[in-house]
Amino acid sequence: MLNNRKVRLMTRLAMYEQTEGKEDVRLSKYFRSDYVRLNVLKTVVAITLGYLLVMVLLVVYHSEYLIREAVTLDYEGIILRYVGIYIIILSIYCGVGMIGYMIKYRASRKKLAKYFRMLRRLRILYREEGEPTEAEEESIGYDRGNT
Amino acid sequence: MIVAILELRAHILRFLQRFQLVVEPVVKFIIAFVVFRTINNAIGHETMLMSLPIELLLSLLGTFTPAVILILLAAVVSLAHIYVASPILAILVAILMAILYCFIARFSGKYGYVVLATPILFLLKIPYVIPLILGLVANPMTIIPTACGVVIYRMFQVVSSAAVADSTLAMEDILTLYIDVIDRLIADKQMILTIAVFFIIILAMYLVRKISMEYVFEVSIAVGAIVCILGFLVADTVLHAELDIISMVFGTVGSMLIALVFQFFRLALDYTAVERVQFEDDDYYYYVKAVPKINLAVPERSVKKISENDETVFSDEIDDAELSEEERYALGEESVEDEEEDEPFFHNQ
Repeated sequence: MLNNRKVRLMTRLAMYEQTEGKEDVRLSKYFRSDYVRLNVLKTVVAITLGYLLVMVLLVVYHSEYLIREAVTLDYEGIILRYVGIYIIILSIYCGVGMIGYMIKYRASRKKLAKYFRMLRRLRILYREEGEPTEAEEESIGYDRGNT
Repeated sequence: MIVAILELRAHILRFLQRFQLVVEPVVKFIIAFVVFRTINNAIGHETMLMSLPIELLLSLLGTFTPAVILILLAAVVSLAHIYVASPILAILVAILMAILYCFIARFSGKYGYVVLATPILFLLKIPYVIPLILGLVANPMTIIPTACGVVIYRMFQVVSSAAVADSTLAMEDILTLYIDVIDRLIADKQMILTIAVFFIIILAMYLVRKISMEYVFEVSIAVGAIVCILGFLVADTVLHAELDIISMVFGTVGSMLIALVFQFFRLALDYTAVERVQFEDDDYYYYVKAVPKINLAVPERSVKKISENDETVFSDEIDDAELSEEERYALGEESVEDEEEDEPFFHNQ
């Protein structure tokens, strides 16, 4: 026999599982600190690569000047300056990224918690359907009291 | 009049819903074709890529792959065109794109396709659609992909104008060309200005949208359009950015109309986003089609077809008295007229 309530609940669960749930489940495999660290690491790699490319463009752009003044250039000062800029940019990105990814992780956890609440309701429906034994009846009451 | 429009809307929605499996790829194909056509028209240098069969083939590829592939294809095609005109500029553009991705574009999230849509709509003279629609549906963070799109558009403008001059260039002039292009990109007032105005539009619309009042979305679009026209006018007079004011005003009005139509059908988009899910339990295998409700935020799910052990249960076998209104509607027996009064199929806890 079809149980409409069950079908609706399962539909909702399946819809979640097949759309944003995928991402949430993937996230839930990480600890929060691991997830944030991994993503900040990715950001560090991307920023480093991007900065290097900018450096390449800059060097080519100023190549005439660089070649002309190659002997008299203050290399130490230049390197210090650009490494400094790099560190500043990197720390801004890492800081913002850390907060952003933490928020994202928390939001995903919340959605997942809702999903599990629905799952629990489904389990209760299953128990109601099958003629419950005494022990199961007890646990249904217990579950209900909790939800 | 309004009733007729609403009826038309309902008809279109029903049509889209019924033929979603066909309509979706067709729409994707048209979008992909427009993308490649526009690119070829704007910076077409490689004649092989411009032939119709190649265009159709690329569009077909874009139809059956995720959106990110279309973006990638568009980027590759554009680079190929630039490469034919001037290899050195193509390398420069590729590097700039990589920098853009590393620093900004990788944070655009699910709105990544805006990066592609913005330059295309610029070429179609209605770029204002982007902020007007993003202001309607998204948060101000979407300025990230929008800004990337603007930068890419301006970059290609500068590069393709330089590429024409490049064809007669000797090797030693490459550095001069490169410096010239970079100078023009950095000094591009229009680019900064466009990004700033777009950001103000999105922000203003977002703030207006949060106000609780009637017709808030329509008002929000109007506010966005006004901000757009005023913003560009002020920018033009104060910063002497040499904008084409007339085409800007017409473009904004056109974009506003598009945004209004989009708003009118927005829930239609929800409606056509029919969810088909399949799952099973111990006794049954379920094929469920869930339709989000047209005018209400609470989604309506109508159970269309459920089969037992892969045997379809025909609608005749279901006792009509047992069906709810939604289910009867799903079976095509109920008219759509009074659906607004329907109770939500789901009650949130």
